[in-house]
Parts: sequence; C-alpha cells; structure tokens
Amino acid sequence: MTETTIPRGNTLPRIRPWLGIAAAASFVVASVMALFWAPTDAVQGDVYRILYVHVPLAWLAYLAFVIVFLASVGWLWTKRPFFDAVAVASAEIGVLFTGLFLVAGSIWAKPTWGVWWTWEPRLVTTAIMFVMYVGYLLLRGLSTDFSRRATRAAVFGIIAVIDVPIVHLSVLWANSLHQLPTVLRAAGSPALDSSMLLTLMVSLFAYTLIYAYFMSARVSLERARQGRLWTQI
Amino acid sequence: MDANLVFIVAAFAIVWGALLAYLISLRARGA
Repeated sequence: MTETTIPRGNTLPRIRPWLGIAAAASFVVASVMALFWAPTDAVQGDVYRILYVHVPLAWLAYLAFVIVFLASVGWLWTKRPFFDAVAVASAEIGVLFTGLFLVAGSIWAKPTWGVWWTWEPRLVTTAIMFVMYVGYLLLRGLSTDFSRRATRAAVFGIIAVIDVPIVHLSVLWANSLHQLPTVLRAAGSPALDSSMLLTLMVSLFAYTLIYAYFMSARVSLERARQGRLWTQI
Repeated sequence: MDANLVFIVAAFAIVWGALLAYLISLRARGA
C-alpha cells in the first residue's frame, strides 16, 4: 500500500454528460440506419441486420480486453491505482459486450445456419474468451488486499489477451462455419456494399462512444471505491 | 414482411435492453 498513490479527482465526471449525449444521439442514428436505411442483403434478406449490433460489439470487446492488457501493464509498471480502476472497468464492460455479441450471434445463427450454437473454432474461442474474463472478475474477489488483488488481476489480464487475436484469426486458421473477416482482412478492401459499410462504421462509432461513456462512469465508481478504501486504512 | 423479423427484433431488443440495464446499474451504484 505504501508504494501506491492516493486517488485524486479527475476530469471524467465533467465530460461525461456530453459523452452521454453524443453516445445517445449516435446510437439513435446508427439504429435507424441499421434497421431502415441499410439495403436488404441479396442472400440473407433482412436478418443480416443483426450484423450491425454483433460486429461493433465484438470489435469493442476486443478493444476492451486490449485496454485491460495495457492497464495491467500500467499497474505492474507504476503501481498507480488508476490503472487498476481502468482494468476492472474495461474487463466488466468487455464481458458485457462479449456476452451480448455471443447472444446476438446465436440469434443470427439460427435462421442462417439452422442451429443456435455449434462447436466451431470462432464460437469456441469466443466462449473461452468470455469465460476467461468472467474468471478475471471473479479472481478480483479472492483477496481483500488491494495491491495483491491488483497484481494478480494484472498478471491474468496480460495473459488472457492472447485469446483476442486467436478469436479474430480462428476463422483463418481452422475450417470454420463462421464467416471470414469482411472488413478487417489482409486481402484488400472491405468486401461489403458501400452503404452497408457506412452503416457499420456509424454503428461502430456509436458503440465506441457507448464504451467510452460506460468506461468514464465505471472508472469513476472504482476510483471512489479506492478512495473509501484508503480512508479506512 | 421478412420471415426472420422475430430474430432481428430479438437480437436488437436484447442488446438494447442489456445496455440500458447496465446503464441503470451504473447509476444505482452512484455513477
């Protein structure tokens, strides 16, 4: 505890209302574009529109777990509690987003693949990622000593990020039922209609703002909790 | 009307509902 610094106030609460307004506005625009403006897919019909929640949530989950990794390195390097607050906040939101894109993907799979779930590489590696980060959150409850808990969680957070590229590349490494990368692919430009791509980018922007808003609120909560912890010592 | 409309509505409703629930939980915790 002596190596750490006492949490101080930050600017997050001041920008949060504006972030919330921007997130809500872009979310409405993205939802209208996804449900009504984007064209119907020639093969799948309208059910492909689930892509506009499934894919942004997946990308933001990847980002959330990379932030956990970076914050974990930050904690181990500097022992500043701020990094631990960022790590736990991002892990919690990442678990929420992973759970949601798994559910949305499962709902999409039923009318397109004929099953809710199948044991193929992308789905299995994603399920492992989900369980790993649920484990990360549970691990944090095993110790009441702040430094010990933060250090254990940081080591876990650094190791667990290995699964993120495995999830993304699993469709290339193994014979997968899941669609190959459509936008983030090595072979040239995105294989997507321009208006579909625009809708996807607007959705990605909206979910990024939602992630940022959730992070600002959750980090503030964790900093307040750390502050109460310090006053008790 | 698309025969798979129920799947589209379900996916969007679950995602929207969960995001709203998380927002409410943050507010309830004091954020």
